[in-house]
Formats: sequence, structure tokens, C-alpha cells
Amino acid sequence: MKKRFAHETALLALLFALLAYAKFTEPKFLALDTQRKLLEELWELALISIPMTLIILTGGIDLSVGSAMGLCAVVMGMSFQRGYPPALCALLALVAGLAAGALNGFFITRVKVHPLLVTLATLAAFRGVAEGMSGGASVEGFVETFKLLRDPVPALIFVAFVAIAAWFLNAAPGGVWLRAIGFNETSARFSGLPVDRLKLRLYALSGLAAGVAAVLYAARFNTAKADIGDGKELEAVTAVVLGGTSIFGGRGHVFGTVLGLLLIHETREFVKWHWSNEYIAIVLGVLLILSVLMNRFLGDGES
Amino acid sequence: MTLVKRIFLQREYGVAALLLLMIAVVTAVDHNFLSRQNFLDILMATVPVAIVACGLTFVIVLGEIDISVGSLLGLTAVVLGLLTSLDHAKQPVVVGVAAVLVLGTFVGLVNGVLVVFGRVPSIIVTLGMLTALKGLMVILMNGENIQNLPDSVRFLGTGTLVGVPIPLLVAAVVIAFSAGLAVYTPLGRRLYAAGSNPHAAELAGLSVRGLKLFAFTYTGFLTAVAALVTAPRLSVIEDSAGKDLELMVVTAVVVGGTSLSGGRGTIAGSLLAAILLGSVSTALIFLKFSAATYWERAIQGGFILAAVLVDHLARRDGETP
Repeated sequence: MKKRFAHETALLALLFALLAYAKFTEPKFLALDTQRKLLEELWELALISIPMTLIILTGGIDLSVGSAMGLCAVVMGMSFQRGYPPALCALLALVAGLAAGALNGFFITRVKVHPLLVTLATLAAFRGVAEGMSGGASVEGFVETFKLLRDPVPALIFVAFVAIAAWFLNAAPGGVWLRAIGFNETSARFSGLPVDRLKLRLYALSGLAAGVAAVLYAARFNTAKADIGDGKELEAVTAVVLGGTSIFGGRGHVFGTVLGLLLIHETREFVKWHWSNEYIAIVLGVLLILSVLMNRFLGDGES
Repeated sequence: MTLVKRIFLQREYGVAALLLLMIAVVTAVDHNFLSRQNFLDILMATVPVAIVACGLTFVIVLGEIDISVGSLLGLTAVVLGLLTSLDHAKQPVVVGVAAVLVLGTFVGLVNGVLVVFGRVPSIIVTLGMLTALKGLMVILMNGENIQNLPDSVRFLGTGTLVGVPIPLLVAAVVIAFSAGLAVYTPLGRRLYAAGSNPHAAELAGLSVRGLKLFAFTYTGFLTAVAALVTAPRLSVIEDSAGKDLELMVVTAVVVGGTSLSGGRGTIAGSLLAAILLGSVSTALIFLKFSAATYWERAIQGGFILAAVLVDHLARRDGETP
């Protein structure tokens, strides 16, 4: 336990160091209005990072979430073009996400292929289907109804996601099972835990979260295109690992992910603000590797 | 083993059969598919995937993965362009080639060091590297395509030697060397031993760490080689250089029969799968499937899923090769 707090303290220290630096160099960056505005950029990533945390806790990974977002957005846009009511369009996007996630889960639990390979394949496949269906065109001009999904709604959905995940990890039996799978899947199976059922649901949930994120994104920018969510999977994995969840599974918590998300978000926005968009990729890539190295030094305890 | 069983159980045969089937079907529709020019085009398009796959096969045989190769190819292509282009540093071609090879080898080495000594999982290391290198490339390009490559550089991609395009020659050398390394040298045998059971290999006195370091460094080096022969094929170097290469290479290696859990897989399998995957988009055009370009990635992803599904079904009958 002590070691876990060491990691979280380190994250907080980093966050404060960044904000302190920001305070001296870019006072406007810390203004409440600015921060509030910038937060809008966070929610889609935040939503897909929560199921990602649970998946990584089982020792798995889902690299296809970003592409699933693109697929869901295209499904929503194309059904909107056919004149379906807005609520139905959003629902279809969620169903598409759920189906995409379930497909991952099917291959991982029934065909018994490594999650990395399955989701690398669907990373291409989902994006490819989205590109194929839409022919690369975008749909714009959603109706007023979708404006309802702006500002406070994404934050509320995120809080609900975190609350449910935290409850699941701390109070539901499934939370313990999930960690047990991450520590040692074979022994979890021999202990009679419903390993496959749990994993299938987690991947389906990840797809569903991608659907929600796609709907929110489309509502925010009033546009739906196949390339939405490109690279989001990497940012989500970075947030989770930065938050102290072991990439081997078993150790970690959604609260760590929330801290990781905050750090990534502030870093990204500050780099964008202070230097330029172009430096974000380098900073995020280095941050990801450093965060795992940091995990090691703070006693991740991998034997 | 009967031939039918072999086709299902030994992936090299399965991929070869599928490749022949596809060639037969497409040629029946349009016999130009088998023309010399088209054949050459397909091979040339396969060159970067085939070269990088030679290194990545070793990495995956050791139970690791490297998904930074696409970004690395892009970055090395840009560095080559910036050093030699008449609009930029105007260095002689030798300097450009040397710098690119050193850079690729160095990045591969850093990947290896982080995996072996930092004990960071390779998927994370190379994911971070993928992002960082891509960012570095964008910064170096400064929003402009690199033009005006000197003829000496263009020659690497477009020239011929005794009638054979240079990229094909280079690929052939790399493939022959890597396959020979895998089959005939102690190093090659150690790679497979360490991949199938790292613990036993360690106890038998092999340095699994050293082998991993070698595999990552070799992959970085080969990625630079691939950049040298593919980037100069066009007169302009764009920021799309190397895009999605990691996906194509991993697909080729895995469809070609290399197990992601390590220990199994051959260069020949990876190569056949690379040609199969590389000819899909051309085949679709010959089949008059007009929307093909948009569906290409969907088909590539579908290929991996189909390959693992067939593998699973074949194995379920209780027989293991």
C-alpha cells in the first residue's frame, strides 16, 4: 500500500511542478475560464480510459478503441443522413461500439488469441470499415438536439463511469476476480472464476465507451468522420500506465488513471499553449516510457 | 503428413496455397495480372514490409514486439531527405546513407536497452517510441514536403543493377542473410531456443538479454535499410512516409505463422505473407472493385482475424505440428 501512495504522490508532485511552471511562464493558462474551456478536450479520452484501466488490470489491452470511435461516428453520421431521429442515431452508434467491443472479446476469449494481436487487427479493421462505409466523406450539421450533450454532460458521464468502476473494483466480487485474472489467469481459472465471461464483458464495455465518446465528439464538433479518435488508444494506455496500473495486470486503480489523465491533459494543453502542437507527440511518447520506468523504481514489484 | 494437413497446419504452406489461389482467380478475370510489369510492381511495393519483417520475425520469435518501425522508417526517410536534398543540407549521398543507418540502429538499440535493462514491456517501449519518433519527424519536416533529391539518392530507389531494380536486390540480400542466420548459425538456433523457453535457455547458458538486444537493434537497422530503398522511389518525401508500416509488418509476420508467444516462425512464412498482403490491393483493382482503396485497411485487419480463426479451428482437431 505504501508503495502505491509513493506513485500517486510522485504524480501529484509532477502535476504541481508543471502547474507552478505554468504559473510563472503563462499566468493566463491557469485562469479558471481557460481551464474550464480546455477541460472540454479531455472527456472523450477520459471515457475510454476507464474501461481501459479495467482491461489492463486483467493483463489485457485494447488498441482498437480509437478506431472504434471512428466507426461509431460514421455509423451515427450515416444514419443521420438517412433521416433517422437523432436519438436513434446515437443509439445505433452505441450498439456499433458494443458490437465492435464484443467482437474483440469473442476473439480473445473464444479463439484464444492475444488481446494485443486481436485489437491491433481490429484497430485496422474498424477504421477500414469506417473509411469504406463513408468513402472518406464527413457528415456535418447535426441538429440542435445534440447540443444537449455539450458542456456539463460529458463530465457527468465521466464521473458516473469512475464511480461505477471504483465501486466495481472495491465492493463487487468482480473487482477482486479481475485482479486475480491479472495476477495469474491460470490459477483464476482453476479457482472457478468466470474468466472468459468477465473479459468478454470488459472488452464489450470498452467498445461501448468508444461509442459514447464518439457521440460526444460528434456533438461537440458537429461533425462525424472516419478519422475521429485517431491515436486515442495510445493516449488512453499512457494515462492508465502513468496512473500506476501495471501493464502486466493485477495492480492499479481507476483513481490512479484519473490522476494520469489530469497530468496528460495539463501537459498536453500546456505544451500546446506554451510551445506548439508539434511537440505534443514527443512529450507524450517520452512520458509513457518514463512513467513505466518510474513504476519500476517505485517498486511495481514485477518479478 | 498429407499435403492437405500440411496446408492447414504448417502456415507457410497455407499462405502459399492462398497466394496461388488468389493469383489463379485474378488472372482468370484479367490475364494482365500476371504481366511482368505488374509482377514487378507488386514485388516493389512489398519491399519495405519484407525487409523489416526479417528483423521483426526475430523480435516476435523472442516473444517481444516492435510497433515503432513505421515511425522509424518515416523519420529516417526525412533525415535522408534533409541531409541530401539540394534544398537543404546538400550532403553527399554517402553521408546521408551512413547517418540513416546509424540512426536506425541507434533507435533499435534504445528500444532494446529499455526492454532488456529498463524491464519495460516492449509494447509500451515501442508504443512510446512510435509516438515520439512521429512527433520528431513532424518537427523536422516543419510543415513542408522535402523535394529536390539528388540523382545519386534517387538511384537507390529507382536505379537498376544488371537489370534488376536495386530495392529488389537489397531485399533479396537481406532475406537471404536473415534466413541463413536463422537456420544455419548458432545465433539463429539460440533465438528460437530463447523464444520457446526463455527460462530453460537461460539455464542452458544463453544470454536471452543479449539476444533480445540483438533482435531489436537488427530490426532498427533493417528499418533504416528499408527507408533507403523506398523513400527515394518518389521525388518527394511526405509526412505519410512509413504510415501504418508496423501494422503491415506485424500482420505479415503473424499471418506467416510466427507465434506471438514466441519460439515459432520462419522468414519464409513472413515473406510469403508479405507478398500475399501486398498484392491484395492490386488484386482488388484488377477485380474492378472500385471502392478498394477505402476498404484496404478493413481487408488487412480482416486478414489477421481470418488467419487466427483458421489457425484456431485447425488446431482444435487435436493435432499440433
